[in-house]
Amino acid sequence: MEKKNRMKCIILAAGEGKRMHPLTYTRPKVMLPIANRPILEWNLLNAKAAGIKNFVFVIGYKSEMVRNHFQNGKKWNIKIEYVNQGKAQGTAHAIGMTEKFVNDFIILCGDTIFGKQDIKNIIQKKNSMGLVKVENPEEYGIVETQGKQIKKIYEKTPGPFTDVINAGIYHFNKKIFDFIKKTKKSPRGEYEITDSINMMIKEHKIEGVQLKEWRDVIYPWHLLDANEEILKKLKSKNNGKQEKNTNLEGMIIIGKNTKIMSGSYIKGPVVIGDNCKIGPNCYIRSCTSIGDNCHVGNACEIKNTIIMSNSNTPHQNYVGDSIIGENCNFGAGSKVANLRFDKKNIKTTVNGNKLDTKRRKLGVIMGDNVQTGINSMMNTGSSIGNNCYIGLGTVVYGEVAPNARII
Amino acid sequence: MCGIIGYTGFRDADKVLIDCLKRLEYRGYDSAGISVMFKEQQVFKDIGQIQDLERMLPDLDGTIGIGHTRWATHGGVTQMNAHPHLSTSGKIAVVHNGIIENYTKIREDLKQKGYTFASETDSEVLAHLIEDHYNGNLEKAVSTALKKVKGYYAIVVTSTEEPDKVVGARKSSPLVIGIGDNENFLASDIPAFLKYTNRVIYLDDGELSVITDKGVQIFNDKNKIVNRQENLIEWDYKDAEKSGFPHFMLKEIFDQAEAAHQVIRGRVSEIDRNITFDENVENLLANGIDSINIIACGTSYYAGLVGKHMIEKLTGLPVTVELGSEYRNYTTKNNTPLVIAVTQSGETLDTLTSLKEAKNSGSRTLVVSNVTGSTATRISDAFILTQSGPEIGVAATKTFTSQILVLFLLALKISKIKNTIGSDELYNHILHLKELPRKIRQVLDSSDNILEIAQQLKNTESAFFIGRGINYPVSLEGALKLKEISYIHAEGFAAGELKHGPFALLTETTPVIAIVTKDSNYEKMLANIGEVKARGPLVIAIAEEDDTEIEKHADYVLRFPPNSDLLSCIPIIVTLQLLAYHTADLRECPIDKPRNLAKSVTVE
Repeated sequence: MEKKNRMKCIILAAGEGKRMHPLTYTRPKVMLPIANRPILEWNLLNAKAAGIKNFVFVIGYKSEMVRNHFQNGKKWNIKIEYVNQGKAQGTAHAIGMTEKFVNDFIILCGDTIFGKQDIKNIIQKKNSMGLVKVENPEEYGIVETQGKQIKKIYEKTPGPFTDVINAGIYHFNKKIFDFIKKTKKSPRGEYEITDSINMMIKEHKIEGVQLKEWRDVIYPWHLLDANEEILKKLKSKNNGKQEKNTNLEGMIIIGKNTKIMSGSYIKGPVVIGDNCKIGPNCYIRSCTSIGDNCHVGNACEIKNTIIMSNSNTPHQNYVGDSIIGENCNFGAGSKVANLRFDKKNIKTTVNGNKLDTKRRKLGVIMGDNVQTGINSMMNTGSSIGNNCYIGLGTVVYGEVAPNARII
Repeated sequence: MCGIIGYTGFRDADKVLIDCLKRLEYRGYDSAGISVMFKEQQVFKDIGQIQDLERMLPDLDGTIGIGHTRWATHGGVTQMNAHPHLSTSGKIAVVHNGIIENYTKIREDLKQKGYTFASETDSEVLAHLIEDHYNGNLEKAVSTALKKVKGYYAIVVTSTEEPDKVVGARKSSPLVIGIGDNENFLASDIPAFLKYTNRVIYLDDGELSVITDKGVQIFNDKNKIVNRQENLIEWDYKDAEKSGFPHFMLKEIFDQAEAAHQVIRGRVSEIDRNITFDENVENLLANGIDSINIIACGTSYYAGLVGKHMIEKLTGLPVTVELGSEYRNYTTKNNTPLVIAVTQSGETLDTLTSLKEAKNSGSRTLVVSNVTGSTATRISDAFILTQSGPEIGVAATKTFTSQILVLFLLALKISKIKNTIGSDELYNHILHLKELPRKIRQVLDSSDNILEIAQQLKNTESAFFIGRGINYPVSLEGALKLKEISYIHAEGFAAGELKHGPFALLTETTPVIAIVTKDSNYEKMLANIGEVKARGPLVIAIAEEDDTEIEKHADYVLRFPPNSDLLSCIPIIVTLQLLAYHTADLRECPIDKPRNLAKSVTVE
């Protein structure tokens, strides 16, 4: 029999992540790949390194993708239990689902990447929550503290009085469920765990733990930052085949059966998955992740980009500062613009809202199953939904809805 | 139809059961109930909708339970008759969808053994029968009990003796298993639990399943364990009420195989070679009938016209069919025919007004309706339910075919009473009836071919539907379906009437849909198609699957599997419904809510 009091890690993985459209039309947010592993897997690996062996995943949106990837956790030598949230009704509702499965436990928001040491620190402090200082606290729930104790968590507010925010990692025991049951719907119609915690604070002390590593991803272009950060921490490993006259420098990981052909010039950090064909004569620049079964062909340049599995940039393509979904194919000469002439910040549109990405360089965000025709061009900050056809010679800008045909 | 559900897992069962029942509401909503197990069976049930049940529920402990939503077909809508039913000891709870044909005998046997009954339903006997066979193992008790039962069922059972188990079994009524994490489900239909899991296992006829919060086992009728792969459901729970279909209308078209089954079951006995209705109906029909008036509006009127054909052919009685809104203007009221009012909702005001008038003039009245307790069923001498379950799409589909089938059963019944057909002929008709659900499914399987032909219609401005004999009212209905949902001007004509006027409207751009069955009108229909072709329009023939001649005459042929002369109309109608549906869909029309139309018209 399993020990009842064993520490478990709940990972909230039910969300769709609407702000991650078009990438999340076809996958839950936690399955977005960073350095060729889903965000959720990085959290699982870090939590495992911090000593956790038992996980409870709260799943919902496209749950089968989470389940298919992680199964029962055997591959990682850990144990995963799944709880289906049903209708998404907020974080408190999600955590409330797990009552019957946990006693002493930590909770991670599955779409934020937490560091191993920070997770360890949280595990060691009963009734605690992670805090982090950020430059844009107005985007988050800020936290008022008194010494180490948490006084109150506030909802996202304009003009916040502190830069300390709620990082989305907690250590609780069964008591929290009493407060979750008392939690009422928030103005936005969800049951928020922060409301439960604010109630709990009145009766039980909760300690704040300052985090050292913390990377949250909200919008697609944040994946590029997270990708860069993780790639820089990895170590080289070459399982592929390398022809003569190739140049590989810096941290480079190459998967099984991947062939690096003559004339390929790769400057790390770069990770390339299994069964890829790279080259001949291509230039892959730093901070690029290429999934499994991809092809980067002749006269192609890829820079600071995530290309997901089964996608090809086969001939004369330039792809910079972009995210390319699965099963995409670039026509010959199809290229991406990633810098404005006036060098100003690049704006993009997500679900109809125009946003400043605060990036000077950003190419295209491309959903799954997109085909681009020869010599088609994608403007800076353009976004293309899944299953689109981009006709030959066309120029794409703004937000293209899924299933569209641009001709 | 009824909806049933079983749950075991970690959530509060009362909330899950209510939630699931709400998604089965399309299968019925005149009474509902649940039983949640926590040391004992906590049963809550009442008449009314599921929201009403939800309001009366206290906060229940327990994470295992069963539930039921009812669309009354046998026995009145009362709290007693609502499910779940408990066994005499109160330990076993049962929900049931279907009919137990030999329940009177089982009930008498059980009564003699000392079991006490709380309701008049056939379903309750199952609870006591399972208890009678209970010997420490619920699935064995269910399996042995069901061997004694004649009829159709999907049942879900729990027992306080084994508080971690839910047992389900099915024969001819639907039941699927939902595989969750630390929880599992049994339900009449997938949408019930789709919010919680999209992994399902389909149970086959005669199989039994035991679910616990940890796992699922399936047994075949020989008690051998069956291993079956789970299937992943791609559609979202938000589309669930339409079972993954883009429109209610398409879902309801696809429901028709089951709907046909629902009309026949319990009323047609192959062995006794007889048709049985409720006592009131039987009494009404037993007194000599000289003539019949059918009153109806819209699609029901066309069902009436098809019914006239069937009744006249089988019974030899004269039948007139009147529009509800015109009945009072035309019919002579000095004789007293049997008046049959056909109304899906039972609330159509034009039909109700005529019905009252018929009553006032001393006629006996019989109502064919889909809604028990509706005004029409209350003010008539007797009523027959089509048992199709709620129909949500405004364009009537499954209720139309069910109305025709009810009228057909009536025709058979009257012909037996009047001795106008022999026992062998009746038996033949019964066999053909039993074949129908399969034939409907065959048409549904060819939906993609029909979509191809719909491409030919999508840009047209007007279309003709032609047929002879029973296919004349069928062509009227085909035209009505097309016009009401696709907004294409469509008219149905008796094929022989074209030359008496409508030809003036026929141009090269008016497609003609011709219904051709291999009956006595076959040659004449081919001649009519020839007349049409001579004027240049496209001809789409709806023809029998082995008709090789027709290709020489028509531009396109849609094939259907024929039944008897009187029942071939059903697969033809399904074809026409799909044709109208696909055409409207290609034209991007609001199919479930066509402009200016409402589901039941309660104004004059």
